[in-house]
Amino acid sequence: MRFRDSAFLLVLASTPAAAQAPSSSAQLVVAVPPLPTPRNVDTEGGQTGVIGIQIAQTIASDLRSSNSIMSIAPDKLPVYSPVQAGAPVYQNWLRTGAGAVVVGYVQARDDGRITVACYLYDIKQRREMSRKGFVVPPGEWRRAAHRCADAFHAGITGMPGHYDTRIAYVAETGTRTAPVKRVAVVNWDGTDHRYLTRGETTVLSPRISPDGERIAYMSFTGGTPHIRVMDSDGENDRPLVQAIGMSFAPAFSPDGRRIAFSLAAEGNTDIFVMNSNGGMPQRLTRTPGVDTAPSFSPDGSKIVFESDRGGIPQLYVMNADGSGQQRISFGGGSYGSPAWSPKGDLIAFTRWSGSALRIGVMSPDGSGERAITSGWQDEGPSWAPDGEFLVFQRTQQGSGLSAVYTVSTAGGEPHRVLLPGSGSDPSWSGASQ
Amino acid sequence: MTRVLILAAALLAASASAQPGPYYPPPPLPPGAPLPGPVLAIPVLQADLKAKAGTDTVRFGRDSYGLTPQSLAVLTAQAQWLIAHPYVRANVEGHADGRQTRAYALALGERRAAAVRNYLIASGVPPQQLDIVSWGKERPATAAAHDATWLQNSRVVISLKQ
Repeated sequence: MRFRDSAFLLVLASTPAAAQAPSSSAQLVVAVPPLPTPRNVDTEGGQTGVIGIQIAQTIASDLRSSNSIMSIAPDKLPVYSPVQAGAPVYQNWLRTGAGAVVVGYVQARDDGRITVACYLYDIKQRREMSRKGFVVPPGEWRRAAHRCADAFHAGITGMPGHYDTRIAYVAETGTRTAPVKRVAVVNWDGTDHRYLTRGETTVLSPRISPDGERIAYMSFTGGTPHIRVMDSDGENDRPLVQAIGMSFAPAFSPDGRRIAFSLAAEGNTDIFVMNSNGGMPQRLTRTPGVDTAPSFSPDGSKIVFESDRGGIPQLYVMNADGSGQQRISFGGGSYGSPAWSPKGDLIAFTRWSGSALRIGVMSPDGSGERAITSGWQDEGPSWAPDGEFLVFQRTQQGSGLSAVYTVSTAGGEPHRVLLPGSGSDPSWSGASQ
Repeated sequence: MTRVLILAAALLAASASAQPGPYYPPPPLPPGAPLPGPVLAIPVLQADLKAKAGTDTVRFGRDSYGLTPQSLAVLTAQAQWLIAHPYVRANVEGHADGRQTRAYALALGERRAAAVRNYLIASGVPPQQLDIVSWGKERPATAAAHDATWLQNSRVVISLKQ
Protein backbone atom coordinates (compact mmCIF):
# COMPACT_ATOMS: atom_id res chain seq x y z
CA MET A 1 0.00 0.00 0.00
CA ARG A 2 1.28 3.41 -0.85
CA PHE A 3 1.61 5.81 2.00
CA ARG A 4 -0.52 8.55 0.55
CA ASP A 5 -3.36 6.12 0.03
CA SER A 6 -3.96 6.12 3.79
CA ALA A 7 -6.31 9.04 4.08
CA PHE A 8 -5.95 9.43 7.84
CA LEU A 9 -2.24 10.09 7.45
CA LEU A 10 -2.74 13.02 5.16
CA VAL A 11 -2.65 16.44 6.70
CA LEU A 12 -4.38 19.22 4.85
CA ALA A 13 -2.27 22.23 4.02
CA SER A 14 -4.54 24.43 6.11
CA THR A 15 -3.41 22.83 9.37
CA PRO A 16 -0.76 24.72 11.39
CA ALA A 17 2.02 22.18 10.79
CA ALA A 18 1.80 22.76 7.06
CA ALA A 19 0.89 26.41 7.02
CA GLN A 20 3.68 27.24 4.56
CA ALA A 21 2.62 24.68 1.99
CA PRO A 22 2.54 26.18 -1.51
CA SER A 23 -0.67 24.50 -2.60
CA SER A 24 -3.94 23.54 -1.02
CA SER A 25 -3.79 19.89 -2.05
CA ALA A 26 -3.27 17.17 0.54
CA GLN A 27 0.35 16.65 1.47
CA LEU A 28 2.15 14.28 3.78
CA VAL A 29 4.04 16.06 6.55
CA VAL A 30 7.47 14.53 7.19
CA ALA A 31 9.52 15.45 10.29
CA VAL A 32 13.28 15.46 9.64
CA PRO A 33 15.11 15.84 12.99
CA PRO A 34 18.94 15.98 13.02
CA LEU A 35 20.62 12.61 12.47
CA PRO A 36 22.47 11.79 15.72
CA THR A 37 25.99 10.37 15.91
CA PRO A 38 27.12 7.76 18.47
CA ARG A 39 30.39 9.68 18.99
CA ASN A 40 31.17 13.13 17.64
CA VAL A 41 34.31 12.60 15.55
CA ASP A 42 36.31 15.06 13.46
CA THR A 43 36.49 13.94 9.84
CA GLU A 44 37.75 15.61 6.68
CA GLY A 45 34.11 16.48 5.97
CA GLY A 46 33.61 18.07 9.41
CA GLN A 47 32.36 16.69 12.71
CA THR A 48 29.97 13.76 12.38
CA GLY A 49 27.46 15.60 14.57
CA VAL A 50 27.48 18.55 12.19
CA ILE A 51 27.21 16.25 9.15
CA GLY A 52 24.13 14.69 10.79
CA ILE A 53 22.46 18.11 11.00
CA GLN A 54 23.45 18.97 7.41
CA ILE A 55 22.12 15.68 6.07
CA ALA A 56 18.79 16.26 7.83
CA GLN A 57 18.63 19.81 6.44
CA THR A 58 19.33 18.52 2.94
CA ILE A 59 16.67 15.79 3.17
CA ALA A 60 14.12 18.28 4.54
CA SER A 61 14.93 20.78 1.80
CA ASP A 62 14.74 18.12 -0.93
CA LEU A 63 11.41 16.72 0.25
CA ARG A 64 9.92 20.21 0.66
CA SER A 65 10.26 20.82 -3.08
CA SER A 66 7.90 17.93 -3.85
CA ASN A 67 4.27 18.70 -4.60
CA SER A 68 3.10 15.84 -2.38
CA ILE A 69 5.31 16.34 0.67
CA MET A 70 5.66 19.00 3.37
CA SER A 71 8.74 18.70 5.56
CA ILE A 72 9.54 20.01 9.05
CA ALA A 73 13.18 21.18 9.24
CA PRO A 74 15.63 19.85 11.86
CA ASP A 75 15.93 23.18 13.74
CA LYS A 76 12.24 22.92 14.70
CA LEU A 77 12.49 19.39 16.04
CA PRO A 78 13.87 17.61 19.12
CA VAL A 79 17.02 15.52 19.04
CA TYR A 80 17.08 11.81 19.87
CA SER A 81 19.68 9.18 20.60
CA PRO A 82 21.19 6.96 17.89
CA VAL A 83 19.61 3.95 19.56
CA GLN A 84 16.21 5.20 18.45
CA ALA A 85 17.21 5.06 14.76
CA GLY A 86 15.99 1.49 14.52
CA ALA A 87 13.19 1.88 17.07
CA PRO A 88 11.66 5.36 17.03
CA VAL A 89 9.58 6.52 20.02
CA TYR A 90 6.45 7.15 17.98
CA GLN A 91 4.50 9.13 20.57
CA ASN A 92 7.29 11.76 20.65
CA TRP A 93 6.90 12.36 16.92
CA LEU A 94 3.07 12.33 16.99
CA ARG A 95 3.24 15.68 18.86
CA THR A 96 5.00 17.35 15.92
CA GLY A 97 1.91 16.90 13.80
CA ALA A 98 3.86 14.89 11.26
CA GLY A 99 2.62 11.75 9.54
CA ALA A 100 6.11 10.35 9.03
CA VAL A 101 9.55 10.83 10.53
CA VAL A 102 13.07 10.46 9.14
CA VAL A 103 15.57 8.99 11.57
CA GLY A 104 19.05 7.49 11.25
CA TYR A 105 22.61 8.13 12.27
CA VAL A 106 26.06 9.21 11.09
CA GLN A 107 29.00 7.18 12.34
CA ALA A 108 32.74 7.59 11.72
CA ARG A 109 34.58 4.45 10.60
CA ASP A 110 38.16 3.41 11.24
CA ASP A 111 38.97 3.65 7.52
CA GLY A 112 38.22 7.39 7.45
CA ARG A 113 34.83 7.03 5.77
CA ILE A 114 31.44 7.49 7.42
CA THR A 115 28.34 5.35 7.61
CA VAL A 116 25.11 7.19 6.82
CA ALA A 117 21.90 5.37 7.67
CA CYS A 118 18.43 6.82 7.11
CA TYR A 119 14.97 5.39 7.72
CA LEU A 120 11.48 6.66 7.02
CA TYR A 121 8.78 5.63 9.51
CA ASP A 122 5.02 5.89 9.28
CA ILE A 123 4.18 7.39 12.70
CA LYS A 124 0.51 6.41 12.88
CA GLN A 125 0.93 2.89 11.55
CA ARG A 126 4.22 2.46 13.42
CA ARG A 127 6.05 0.81 10.57
CA GLU A 128 9.13 1.36 8.44
CA MET A 129 8.40 2.67 4.94
CA SER A 130 11.84 2.97 3.41
CA ARG A 131 15.51 2.81 4.34
CA LYS A 132 18.93 3.55 2.84
CA GLY A 133 22.49 3.05 4.04
CA PHE A 134 25.79 4.26 2.63
CA VAL A 135 29.47 4.09 3.45
CA VAL A 136 31.01 7.17 1.84
CA PRO A 137 33.95 9.53 2.20
CA PRO A 138 32.86 12.24 4.67
CA GLY A 139 32.95 14.89 1.90
CA GLU A 140 30.22 13.04 -0.03
CA TRP A 141 27.56 13.22 2.66
CA ARG A 142 25.40 15.46 0.49
CA ARG A 143 24.94 12.86 -2.22
CA ALA A 144 24.03 10.27 0.44
CA ALA A 145 21.40 12.72 1.75
CA HIS A 146 19.96 13.23 -1.76
CA ARG A 147 19.72 9.48 -2.28
CA CYS A 148 17.94 9.06 1.07
CA ALA A 149 15.46 11.73 -0.04
CA ASP A 150 15.01 9.96 -3.43
CA ALA A 151 14.15 6.70 -1.67
CA PHE A 152 11.76 8.45 0.75
CA HIS A 153 10.02 10.20 -2.14
CA ALA A 154 9.52 6.79 -3.76
CA GLY A 155 8.19 5.38 -0.48
CA ILE A 156 5.67 8.20 -0.17
CA THR A 157 4.54 8.89 -3.74
CA GLY A 158 5.46 5.71 -5.60
CA MET A 159 7.81 7.71 -7.87
CA PRO A 160 11.52 8.24 -7.08
CA GLY A 161 12.68 11.78 -6.35
CA HIS A 162 14.97 13.86 -8.55
CA TYR A 163 17.40 14.83 -5.80
CA ASP A 164 20.31 12.69 -7.04
CA THR A 165 19.82 13.23 -10.77
CA ARG A 166 21.71 14.86 -13.59
CA ILE A 167 20.77 17.06 -16.51
CA ALA A 168 22.47 16.63 -19.88
CA TYR A 169 22.37 19.72 -22.07
CA VAL A 170 24.20 21.62 -24.81
CA ALA A 171 26.65 24.19 -23.42
CA GLU A 172 26.87 27.16 -25.80
CA THR A 173 29.73 29.62 -26.23
CA GLY A 174 30.95 31.73 -29.14
CA THR A 175 28.53 33.89 -31.10
CA ARG A 176 24.94 33.20 -32.07
CA THR A 177 25.80 32.99 -35.78
CA ALA A 178 28.88 30.81 -35.14
CA PRO A 179 28.21 29.05 -31.84
CA VAL A 180 30.41 26.45 -30.17
CA LYS A 181 28.25 23.66 -28.74
CA ARG A 182 29.36 20.96 -26.34
CA VAL A 183 27.49 18.16 -24.63
CA ALA A 184 27.70 18.74 -20.88
CA VAL A 185 26.28 17.03 -17.80
CA VAL A 186 25.51 18.69 -14.49
CA ASN A 187 23.71 17.72 -11.29
CA TRP A 188 20.16 19.12 -11.29
CA ASP A 189 21.18 21.61 -8.57
CA GLY A 190 24.04 22.98 -10.70
CA THR A 191 26.91 21.13 -8.98
CA ASP A 192 29.52 18.83 -10.56
CA HIS A 193 29.50 20.30 -14.09
CA ARG A 194 31.38 18.35 -16.78
CA TYR A 195 31.89 18.79 -20.54
CA LEU A 196 31.71 15.56 -22.54
CA THR A 197 32.57 16.81 -26.04
CA ARG A 198 35.22 19.31 -27.04
CA GLY A 199 33.27 21.73 -29.20
CA GLU A 200 35.08 21.14 -32.48
CA THR A 201 31.80 19.98 -34.01
CA THR A 202 28.21 21.07 -33.43
CA VAL A 203 26.17 18.76 -31.19
CA LEU A 204 22.46 18.70 -30.29
CA SER A 205 19.86 16.84 -28.25
CA PRO A 206 21.82 14.85 -25.65
CA ARG A 207 19.59 12.20 -24.05
CA ILE A 208 20.67 10.14 -21.01
CA SER A 209 19.83 6.42 -21.08
CA PRO A 210 17.44 5.31 -18.30
CA ASP A 211 20.27 3.55 -16.43
CA GLY A 212 22.47 6.64 -16.72
CA GLU A 213 25.27 4.71 -18.46
CA ARG A 214 25.04 6.15 -22.00
CA ILE A 215 24.20 9.38 -23.78
CA ALA A 216 22.66 9.52 -27.26
CA TYR A 217 23.07 12.81 -29.12
CA MET A 218 23.19 14.32 -32.60
CA SER A 219 26.51 15.36 -34.11
CA PHE A 220 27.46 17.30 -37.24
CA THR A 221 30.83 15.58 -37.44
CA GLY A 222 31.99 14.02 -40.71
CA GLY A 223 29.47 14.66 -43.47
CA THR A 224 25.81 13.93 -42.88
CA PRO A 225 24.68 14.90 -39.36
CA HIS A 226 23.77 11.79 -37.39
CA ILE A 227 23.00 10.31 -33.98
CA ARG A 228 25.90 9.02 -31.92
CA VAL A 229 26.03 7.15 -28.61
CA MET A 230 28.75 7.52 -25.99
CA ASP A 231 29.29 6.34 -22.44
CA SER A 232 28.20 8.86 -19.82
CA ASP A 233 31.86 9.82 -19.19
CA GLY A 234 32.28 10.73 -22.88
CA GLU A 235 34.26 7.59 -23.78
CA ASN A 236 33.45 4.95 -26.39
CA ASP A 237 31.80 7.42 -28.77
CA ARG A 238 30.34 5.78 -31.90
CA PRO A 239 27.62 6.38 -34.52
CA LEU A 240 24.24 4.76 -33.77
CA VAL A 241 23.32 4.18 -37.39
CA GLN A 242 24.96 4.58 -40.77
CA ALA A 243 22.18 5.95 -42.92
CA ILE A 244 21.89 7.77 -46.21
CA GLY A 245 20.02 10.66 -44.65
CA MET A 246 20.28 12.79 -41.54
CA SER A 247 19.33 11.00 -38.29
CA PHE A 248 18.23 13.12 -35.33
CA ALA A 249 15.86 13.49 -32.34
CA PRO A 250 16.93 10.33 -30.42
CA ALA A 251 14.76 8.96 -27.60
CA PHE A 252 15.58 5.95 -25.40
CA SER A 253 12.87 3.42 -24.60
CA PRO A 254 12.20 3.13 -20.84
CA ASP A 255 14.24 -0.11 -20.67
CA GLY A 256 17.10 1.52 -22.60
CA ARG A 257 17.16 -1.26 -25.21
CA ARG A 258 15.71 0.73 -28.11
CA ILE A 259 16.18 4.20 -29.52
CA ALA A 260 13.45 5.88 -31.56
CA PHE A 261 14.64 8.65 -33.86
CA SER A 262 13.96 10.59 -37.04
CA LEU A 263 15.58 10.05 -40.41
CA ALA A 264 15.39 12.75 -43.07
CA ALA A 265 16.12 12.08 -46.73
CA GLU A 266 14.87 13.59 -49.99
CA GLY A 267 12.86 16.17 -48.10
CA ASN A 268 10.90 13.60 -46.11
CA THR A 269 11.31 12.89 -42.37
CA ASP A 270 10.00 9.69 -40.76
CA ILE A 271 10.37 7.95 -37.39
CA PHE A 272 12.36 4.74 -37.00
CA VAL A 273 13.26 2.56 -34.04
CA MET A 274 16.29 0.34 -33.55
CA ASN A 275 18.32 -1.52 -30.94
CA SER A 276 20.28 1.04 -28.93
CA ASN A 277 23.46 -1.03 -29.48
CA GLY A 278 23.06 -0.99 -33.26
CA GLY A 279 21.29 -3.07 -35.87
CA MET A 280 18.71 -2.48 -38.54
CA PRO A 281 16.29 0.42 -38.09
CA GLN A 282 12.61 -0.44 -38.30
CA ARG A 283 10.38 2.14 -39.95
CA LEU A 284 7.38 3.33 -37.91
CA THR A 285 5.87 6.16 -39.99
CA ARG A 286 5.38 6.50 -43.74
CA THR A 287 3.76 9.85 -44.36
CA PRO A 288 5.17 12.33 -46.89
CA GLY A 289 5.20 14.94 -44.11
CA VAL A 290 7.57 15.51 -41.21
CA ASP A 291 7.30 12.91 -38.43
CA THR A 292 9.76 13.62 -35.63
CA ALA A 293 10.47 14.12 -31.90
CA PRO A 294 9.39 10.65 -30.66
CA SER A 295 8.97 9.96 -26.92
CA PHE A 296 8.08 6.59 -25.35
CA SER A 297 5.32 6.03 -22.80
CA PRO A 298 6.74 4.77 -19.46
CA ASP A 299 5.68 1.16 -20.20
CA GLY A 300 7.33 1.35 -23.64
CA SER A 301 4.15 0.35 -25.48
CA LYS A 302 3.37 3.69 -27.12
CA ILE A 303 5.17 6.62 -28.72
CA VAL A 304 4.02 10.23 -28.85
CA PHE A 305 5.49 12.29 -31.69
CA GLU A 306 5.23 15.47 -33.72
CA SER A 307 3.88 15.42 -37.29
CA ASP A 308 2.77 17.97 -39.89
CA ARG A 309 0.84 15.38 -41.94
CA GLY A 310 -2.28 17.44 -41.27
CA GLY A 311 -0.67 20.66 -42.59
CA ILE A 312 0.82 22.09 -39.40
CA PRO A 313 2.80 20.33 -36.67
CA GLN A 314 0.56 18.56 -34.11
CA LEU A 315 0.95 15.74 -31.60
CA TYR A 316 0.16 12.11 -32.47
CA VAL A 317 0.30 8.87 -30.51
CA MET A 318 1.04 5.44 -31.99
CA ASN A 319 1.80 1.96 -30.73
CA ALA A 320 5.53 1.26 -30.44
CA ASP A 321 5.35 -0.89 -33.60
CA GLY A 322 3.96 2.04 -35.60
CA SER A 323 0.32 0.88 -35.68
CA GLY A 324 -2.70 2.89 -34.52
CA GLN A 325 -1.45 6.40 -35.30
CA GLN A 326 -3.84 8.95 -33.89
CA ARG A 327 -3.82 12.71 -33.50
CA ILE A 328 -4.22 13.98 -29.92
CA SER A 329 -3.69 17.79 -30.10
CA PHE A 330 -6.24 20.04 -31.77
CA GLY A 331 -5.52 23.53 -30.47
CA GLY A 332 -4.57 26.54 -32.57
CA GLY A 333 -0.95 27.08 -33.59
CA SER A 334 1.56 24.25 -33.66
CA TYR A 335 2.59 21.55 -31.19
CA GLY A 336 5.91 19.72 -30.95
CA SER A 337 8.69 18.13 -28.88
CA PRO A 338 6.34 15.99 -26.78
CA ALA A 339 7.64 14.20 -23.67
CA TRP A 340 5.63 11.43 -21.97
CA SER A 341 5.78 11.72 -18.18
CA PRO A 342 7.34 8.85 -16.16
CA LYS A 343 4.01 8.51 -14.32
CA GLY A 344 2.25 8.12 -17.65
CA ASP A 345 -0.45 10.62 -16.75
CA LEU A 346 0.72 13.62 -18.80
CA ILE A 347 2.44 14.62 -22.01
CA ALA A 348 4.51 17.80 -21.88
CA PHE A 349 5.02 19.66 -25.15
CA THR A 350 6.02 22.90 -26.84
CA ARG A 351 3.17 24.90 -28.35
CA TRP A 352 3.91 27.80 -30.64
CA SER A 353 2.28 30.54 -32.65
CA GLY A 354 3.71 33.82 -33.90
CA SER A 355 7.19 34.02 -32.39
CA ALA A 356 6.21 32.58 -29.02
CA LEU A 357 7.06 29.06 -27.89
CA ARG A 358 5.55 27.88 -24.59
CA ILE A 359 5.58 24.68 -22.52
CA GLY A 360 2.27 22.99 -21.71
CA VAL A 361 0.94 19.62 -20.59
CA MET A 362 -2.05 17.50 -21.58
CA SER A 363 -3.36 14.00 -20.89
CA PRO A 364 -2.24 11.28 -23.33
CA ASP A 365 -5.75 11.39 -24.85
CA GLY A 366 -5.32 15.12 -25.54
CA SER A 367 -7.69 16.33 -22.82
CA GLY A 368 -6.94 18.74 -19.96
CA GLU A 369 -4.42 20.92 -21.78
CA ARG A 370 -2.87 23.69 -19.69
CA ALA A 371 0.07 26.07 -20.07
CA ILE A 372 3.08 25.74 -17.76
CA THR A 373 5.41 28.57 -18.86
CA SER A 374 5.06 32.04 -20.35
CA GLY A 375 8.53 33.04 -21.57
CA TRP A 376 9.30 34.47 -25.03
CA GLN A 377 10.58 31.13 -26.31
CA ASP A 378 10.33 28.17 -23.93
CA GLU A 379 10.81 24.77 -25.55
CA GLY A 380 11.93 21.16 -25.34
CA PRO A 381 10.49 19.90 -22.02
CA SER A 382 12.02 16.81 -20.36
CA TRP A 383 10.61 15.16 -17.22
CA ALA A 384 12.30 14.58 -13.88
CA PRO A 385 11.90 10.96 -12.71
CA ASP A 386 9.32 12.07 -10.12
CA GLY A 387 6.92 13.16 -12.87
CA GLU A 388 6.44 16.47 -11.02
CA PHE A 389 9.13 18.67 -12.55
CA LEU A 390 10.21 19.61 -16.07
CA VAL A 391 13.49 20.94 -17.38
CA PHE A 392 13.35 23.11 -20.50
CA GLN A 393 15.19 25.70 -22.61
CA ARG A 394 14.30 29.40 -22.37
CA THR A 395 15.60 31.82 -25.03
CA GLN A 396 15.79 35.57 -24.46
CA GLN A 397 14.34 37.92 -27.04
CA GLY A 398 17.00 40.21 -28.50
CA SER A 399 20.20 38.48 -27.40
CA GLY A 400 18.95 35.07 -28.48
CA LEU A 401 20.85 33.60 -25.53
CA SER A 402 19.31 30.54 -23.99
CA ALA A 403 19.37 29.07 -20.49
CA VAL A 404 18.11 25.93 -18.78
CA TYR A 405 15.20 26.14 -16.33
CA THR A 406 13.25 23.72 -14.16
CA VAL A 407 9.58 24.18 -13.28
CA SER A 408 6.96 22.31 -11.26
CA THR A 409 3.93 21.22 -13.28
CA ALA A 410 1.83 22.10 -10.22
CA GLY A 411 2.58 25.78 -10.86
CA GLY A 412 5.06 28.39 -9.72
CA GLU A 413 7.95 30.26 -11.26
CA PRO A 414 10.64 28.41 -13.22
CA HIS A 415 14.08 28.21 -11.58
CA ARG A 416 17.22 28.77 -13.63
CA VAL A 417 19.77 25.98 -13.38
CA LEU A 418 23.15 27.52 -12.55
CA LEU A 419 25.48 26.81 -15.47
CA PRO A 420 28.88 28.22 -16.50
CA GLY A 421 27.35 29.83 -19.62
CA SER A 422 24.43 29.59 -22.03
CA GLY A 423 22.67 26.26 -22.32
CA SER A 424 20.04 24.61 -24.53
CA ASP A 425 18.28 21.34 -25.27
CA PRO A 426 18.30 19.84 -21.73
CA SER A 427 17.21 16.35 -20.75
CA TRP A 428 16.72 14.99 -17.25
CA SER A 429 18.29 11.67 -16.24
CA GLY A 430 16.38 8.83 -14.64
CA ALA A 431 16.39 8.29 -10.88
CA SER A 432 19.46 7.17 -8.94
CA GLN A 433 19.65 3.39 -8.78
CA MET B 1 42.97 9.17 -67.17
CA THR B 2 43.19 12.90 -67.65
CA ARG B 3 43.44 12.44 -71.39
CA VAL B 4 40.32 10.27 -71.38
CA LEU B 5 38.41 12.92 -69.45
CA ILE B 6 39.51 15.68 -71.78
CA LEU B 7 38.53 13.54 -74.74
CA ALA B 8 35.14 12.82 -73.17
CA ALA B 9 34.66 16.50 -72.45
CA ALA B 10 35.52 17.38 -76.04
CA LEU B 11 33.05 14.82 -77.35
CA LEU B 12 30.32 16.10 -75.07
CA ALA B 13 31.13 19.67 -75.99
CA ALA B 14 30.78 18.78 -79.63
CA SER B 15 27.44 17.06 -79.11
CA ALA B 16 26.16 19.94 -77.01
CA SER B 17 27.08 22.59 -79.54
CA ALA B 18 23.75 22.07 -81.27
CA GLN B 19 22.19 23.91 -78.32
CA PRO B 20 24.39 26.93 -77.82
CA GLY B 21 24.73 28.16 -74.29
CA PRO B 22 27.29 29.76 -72.04
CA TYR B 23 28.15 26.47 -70.32
CA TYR B 24 28.92 22.97 -71.48
CA PRO B 25 27.74 19.93 -69.60
CA PRO B 26 30.46 18.48 -67.36
CA PRO B 27 32.34 15.33 -68.29
CA PRO B 28 30.81 12.26 -66.68
CA LEU B 29 32.71 10.91 -63.70
CA PRO B 30 33.02 7.23 -62.89
CA PRO B 31 30.61 6.48 -60.03
CA GLY B 32 32.29 6.61 -56.66
CA ALA B 33 35.48 8.20 -57.96
CA PRO B 34 36.87 11.01 -55.81
CA LEU B 35 36.56 14.38 -57.45
CA PRO B 36 39.82 16.17 -58.14
CA GLY B 37 40.29 19.06 -55.76
CA PRO B 38 39.67 22.59 -57.00
CA VAL B 39 42.68 24.67 -57.96
CA LEU B 40 41.40 27.88 -56.40
CA ALA B 41 40.80 28.32 -52.70
CA ILE B 42 37.22 27.80 -51.55
CA PRO B 43 36.66 31.40 -50.34
CA VAL B 44 37.70 32.69 -53.79
CA LEU B 45 35.34 30.29 -55.50
CA GLN B 46 32.52 31.15 -53.07
CA ALA B 47 33.03 34.85 -53.87
CA ASP B 48 32.96 34.04 -57.58
CA LEU B 49 29.69 32.10 -57.18
CA LYS B 50 28.14 35.05 -55.34
CA ALA B 51 29.36 37.48 -58.02
CA LYS B 52 28.17 35.40 -60.97
CA ALA B 53 24.87 34.18 -59.52
CA GLY B 54 24.15 37.35 -57.57
CA THR B 55 23.94 35.48 -54.28
CA ASP B 56 24.69 32.11 -52.71
CA THR B 57 21.41 32.19 -50.79
CA VAL B 58 17.70 31.71 -51.46
CA ARG B 59 14.99 32.61 -48.95
CA PHE B 60 11.70 31.04 -47.90
CA GLY B 61 8.41 32.04 -46.38
CA ARG B 62 7.45 30.88 -42.92
CA ASP B 63 7.58 27.08 -42.58
CA SER B 64 7.56 26.92 -46.40
CA TYR B 65 9.91 25.00 -48.65
CA GLY B 66 8.41 26.28 -51.90
CA LEU B 67 10.74 28.02 -54.34
CA THR B 68 9.64 31.52 -55.37
CA PRO B 69 10.14 32.87 -58.94
CA GLN B 70 13.04 34.96 -57.63
CA SER B 71 14.55 31.85 -56.06
CA LEU B 72 14.25 29.96 -59.35
CA ALA B 73 16.13 32.72 -61.20
CA VAL B 74 18.89 32.67 -58.58
CA LEU B 75 19.08 28.88 -58.59
CA THR B 76 19.30 28.76 -62.39
CA ALA B 77 22.32 31.05 -62.23
CA GLN B 78 23.84 29.01 -59.38
CA ALA B 79 23.29 25.81 -61.39
CA GLN B 80 25.14 27.29 -64.35
CA TRP B 81 28.06 28.23 -62.11
CA LEU B 82 28.17 24.73 -60.59
CA ILE B 83 27.98 23.11 -64.02
CA ALA B 84 30.90 25.28 -65.12
CA HIS B 85 32.88 24.20 -62.04
CA PRO B 86 32.29 20.44 -62.00
CA TYR B 87 35.18 19.76 -59.64
CA VAL B 88 33.80 22.00 -56.90
CA ARG B 89 31.49 20.23 -54.49
CA ALA B 90 28.88 22.05 -52.49
CA ASN B 91 26.86 21.61 -49.34
CA VAL B 92 23.26 22.65 -49.85
CA GLU B 93 22.67 24.05 -46.34
CA GLY B 94 19.07 24.34 -45.19
CA HIS B 95 18.12 26.65 -42.32
CA ALA B 96 14.92 27.30 -40.36
CA ASP B 97 14.13 30.61 -38.69
CA GLY B 98 13.80 29.72 -35.01
CA ARG B 99 10.01 29.78 -34.73
CA GLN B 100 9.75 25.99 -34.49
CA THR B 101 10.90 23.25 -32.18
CA ARG B 102 14.47 22.05 -32.67
CA ALA B 103 13.57 18.76 -34.36
CA TYR B 104 11.00 20.36 -36.66
CA ALA B 105 13.55 23.03 -37.63
CA LEU B 106 16.01 20.28 -38.62
CA ALA B 107 13.35 18.55 -40.72
CA LEU B 108 12.30 21.84 -42.32
CA GLY B 109 15.92 22.74 -43.14
CA GLU B 110 16.34 19.33 -44.79
CA ARG B 111 13.14 19.83 -46.78
CA ARG B 112 14.30 23.22 -48.04
CA ALA B 113 17.77 21.91 -48.91
CA ALA B 114 16.22 18.94 -50.73
CA ALA B 115 13.95 21.27 -52.73
CA VAL B 116 16.97 23.37 -53.78
CA ARG B 117 19.14 20.33 -54.53
CA ASN B 118 16.39 18.77 -56.66
CA TYR B 119 16.03 21.98 -58.66
CA LEU B 120 19.79 22.26 -59.18
CA ILE B 121 19.92 18.62 -60.36
CA ALA B 122 16.99 19.23 -62.69
CA SER B 123 18.97 22.18 -64.02
CA GLY B 124 21.85 19.88 -64.95
CA VAL B 125 24.11 19.82 -61.89
CA PRO B 126 25.42 16.27 -61.29
CA PRO B 127 23.86 14.83 -58.11
CA GLN B 128 27.23 13.73 -56.72
CA GLN B 129 28.36 17.36 -56.70
CA LEU B 130 25.72 18.32 -54.11
CA ASP B 131 25.38 17.19 -50.49
CA ILE B 132 22.59 18.18 -48.13
CA VAL B 133 23.16 19.53 -44.63
CA SER B 134 20.31 20.80 -42.50
CA TRP B 135 21.36 23.20 -39.75
CA GLY B 136 17.83 23.56 -38.43
CA LYS B 137 17.79 26.71 -36.30
CA GLU B 138 21.36 26.24 -35.03
CA ARG B 139 23.07 28.73 -37.38
CA PRO B 140 20.97 31.90 -37.64
CA ALA B 141 22.11 34.46 -40.22
CA THR B 142 21.71 37.33 -37.78
CA ALA B 143 23.14 37.75 -34.29
CA ALA B 144 19.96 39.34 -32.94
CA ALA B 145 16.83 37.34 -32.11
CA HIS B 146 13.52 39.13 -32.70
CA ASP B 147 10.64 39.30 -35.15
CA ALA B 148 12.53 41.26 -37.83
CA THR B 149 15.16 38.53 -38.17
CA TRP B 150 13.00 35.58 -39.12
CA LEU B 151 12.91 36.04 -42.87
CA GLN B 152 16.70 36.38 -43.08
CA ASN B 153 17.10 33.10 -41.21
CA SER B 154 14.69 31.07 -43.41
CA ARG B 155 17.18 30.21 -46.13
CA VAL B 156 19.27 27.77 -48.11
CA VAL B 157 22.93 28.59 -48.71
CA ILE B 158 25.12 26.98 -51.38
CA SER B 159 28.33 26.45 -49.45
CA LEU B 160 31.28 25.29 -51.55
CA LYS B 161 33.69 22.78 -50.05
CA GLN B 162 36.83 20.79 -50.86
